[in-house]
Amino acid sequence: MDTGFSYDNFEKCITEIVNVSNKLLDGWKIESKQDCDAKFMTKKHSTYLDGLDGSKTLVTFEYHVAYSLSYGVPVLCFNIWRQDGTMLTIEEYWSLNQSLKDSNMHDTLTQMDHPVLCRPFLTLHPCKTSEFFQPFLENSKNPVVSWLSVVGSFVHLQLLEDYIKCC
Amino acid sequence: MASKLSYVQAVSSVNPSFWNKLTEIKLNVDKLSESPRPVWGYFTLLSKTTVNQPLIELDSTSFNSDFNGQNMYVPFKGKVINKNTVEDFKECNKQDVINTEGKCLCENIVSGEAIKNPVLLNSFLLLTFADLKKYHYYYWFSFPVPSGLVLEKFSAKIISEEFNSDRLKQLYVAFQALDAMNKTYFIIENQNDKLLVHSLSSKLSELTAESTTDIYFAFFNISMDNKSIGSQLRNYAALILHHCPFLKGKTQKFVAVSVTRHGSEVGLDTSVIYNLLLPDVSTDKFDSWVGWEKNERDKMGPRVANMKNTLDPKIIAENSVYLNLKLMKWRIVPDINLEVTENAKCLLIGAGTLGCAVARCLLGWGVRNITFADNGYVSHSNPVRQSLYTYEDALSMKAKSEVAPKNLEKIFPGVNAKGVHICIPMPGHSVGESMLKQTVEAVQVLTDLIKDHDIIFLLTDSRESRWLPTLLGCYHKKIVINSALGFDSYLVMRHGCSSDTSNNPELVQDIEGYKIIDGDNLGCYFCNDVTAPGDSMKNRTLDQQCTVTRPGVAQIAGALAVELAVSILQHEKRIKAPAFYKISSKAEDLDPEIENQCILGLIPHSIRGFLSSFNQMLPATMKYDKCVACSDVILNEYKEKGIDFLLKVFDSSKHLEDVTKLTEMLADFDMDEILEFSDEEIE
Repeated sequence: MDTGFSYDNFEKCITEIVNVSNKLLDGWKIESKQDCDAKFMTKKHSTYLDGLDGSKTLVTFEYHVAYSLSYGVPVLCFNIWRQDGTMLTIEEYWSLNQSLKDSNMHDTLTQMDHPVLCRPFLTLHPCKTSEFFQPFLENSKNPVVSWLSVVGSFVHLQLLEDYIKCC
Repeated sequence: MASKLSYVQAVSSVNPSFWNKLTEIKLNVDKLSESPRPVWGYFTLLSKTTVNQPLIELDSTSFNSDFNGQNMYVPFKGKVINKNTVEDFKECNKQDVINTEGKCLCENIVSGEAIKNPVLLNSFLLLTFADLKKYHYYYWFSFPVPSGLVLEKFSAKIISEEFNSDRLKQLYVAFQALDAMNKTYFIIENQNDKLLVHSLSSKLSELTAESTTDIYFAFFNISMDNKSIGSQLRNYAALILHHCPFLKGKTQKFVAVSVTRHGSEVGLDTSVIYNLLLPDVSTDKFDSWVGWEKNERDKMGPRVANMKNTLDPKIIAENSVYLNLKLMKWRIVPDINLEVTENAKCLLIGAGTLGCAVARCLLGWGVRNITFADNGYVSHSNPVRQSLYTYEDALSMKAKSEVAPKNLEKIFPGVNAKGVHICIPMPGHSVGESMLKQTVEAVQVLTDLIKDHDIIFLLTDSRESRWLPTLLGCYHKKIVINSALGFDSYLVMRHGCSSDTSNNPELVQDIEGYKIIDGDNLGCYFCNDVTAPGDSMKNRTLDQQCTVTRPGVAQIAGALAVELAVSILQHEKRIKAPAFYKISSKAEDLDPEIENQCILGLIPHSIRGFLSSFNQMLPATMKYDKCVACSDVILNEYKEKGIDFLLKVFDSSKHLEDVTKLTEMLADFDMDEILEFSDEEIE
């Protein structure tokens, strides 16, 4: 799909993000797969999720921001695991998110293969991504930052002010 | 006044990739060896604001020989001891285990190894047992510290009360210049109001009783608040006391370093300076060590991680298959009942081109129970058309009923596939004395199979082999899907079921331009024929005996057979769902009621397709009251006489015509004009 946002644009954006992150110890890093040129950006984040019964579950998110060739936009993939390493399913994650109850889970989240690692990840629906992403292409110097700042809230990903300055 | 220090212990947080790597190493490298393997654990350098517990993380990089902290992490150095049995794991003496580890730590302190490499003070031990069949991981972390070492706090203050922000900025830069190993424990020297940072190895040996007034023993504090201290401080104190014995019984300044962020500024502003009273003890007194982690129930005990859903490739495959189906439900057909499809037990009679095509398409729908019934062996011509067989299978001449389920499981291990090698008794294939027992058995096996399954697919290559399963399927009220192929044409149909009440076959209701036939009154494969199925193998040339077809025909028909079956399952009346057919050429558009017969659309009685014209039509026909397979006369005869009736039919198909009184009717016809069913006649 031609969105006018190429992989090279993407790599420039994530490099910029990682440079800012390094100064702030914010945890973003660039990764790649062996024998593959495509780079992606990852970060881990631990937090508590509130259950319906008032219980708190300690979880760790691992975010991956990679470029999807088929959609021509970045995709936000993530995995969530408990303290012992067992992963949360899409339904389990949703049930631990009281704040998201108003939105339709399947319009927002899906499970897809990671564009680079080719393993299943929970993914912010890429159709939604194109929708959100398009307006930023014209107005933002770093569309990846602009997009993440909008969609991050679905996955407990908060973007610091310093990144917004890049846009 | 001195007061007690409050300690926090590290809290383990294992990433799934750690278990993955541990499994790989156990299977491929360590095998039966239980010798300890070095592993890294790490803390984020920046204090977490969202979690108030000090999380030590382990992941696949924990097994690397070098630690890569990327300037974001502070290391812990540990060992994993992976026991071979759960008994060893449970029964090994935990006090001995931690004491051994403590002794090792003590040796590193005494030898000075821990000065060169301060991360050794951050020792931990991970005891595991990996049940690799179930993907269950039993584990227990310990962070050994000497139980006999007591530190007392005289005072504590935030570092910014002692140093101004310029000093602290310099300090942060100097701290960040240390490598990851030396960030754990180091020395800060206050030299003429300049704060210098030294590694332990460059400074500790120079210290004297006089010079320690300007010295701060600094350590990276894993605690998330500035009120408590990571328990490893006691190991640091042991090291200091051993190498600076002049500090025994003295108070000394310590800095609990924590890295925090305020706006765009990262710094050490929240670090705390402690005045601690060091006890008068020597390292040889440290014979008892503590530090086992409590489990999720806050008890001293191991934890278990059930990683089956995350690591078992079979489960991953299964979840992915069902996810694909769920996506259908989530986004396109929200009301589809996937369970009913998943749980439908399917019997495939015939495991040739059609059987293979049907089986693969059923897999796509997530159908779990698939049984093949076939009497053939894989021949060299098969693999190119029959998608479940390979050249190798043909070389070894294996029975299709044996190979098909195996290969189906290779494609998707979650399937429950079985095969039954069976010759289906056929009308007009006479049963001699020698074959009697075998035939009676075959009838029994087939009867049981049909009773045990929900959907019966008739996919054999001859007409008469479909007779017995048609009768039994109808008798037991099963969904019967029949598919037959011509050279470039195909038929896919569902059989009507036997009705409980013997009502007159009547049209239920009409929609303008359409006739509706109730599911009870739909015909079967044999209803349109006015002869009983005889021995079609007799008097035939090779090209007539084998089904010579265009290769795509079976794929199309197989797929249609499955889709028809799935649509039936989605209709509330299942097999009794009515069928429609057009009676007026004016009815161009499908009536919505027909189009939306079930959530997947309409459910035709039969689908006839012609590849020569790439055309398809959907005729519906009524049950024939003299049908040789599904009419009430035949069903009643079978009910009353059972196997005796069947044996008579096997001996002579003419018996069927006698029972249904077709014989009398046929006497009036010229037999030469009656052809077997042929596609071209339908129009």
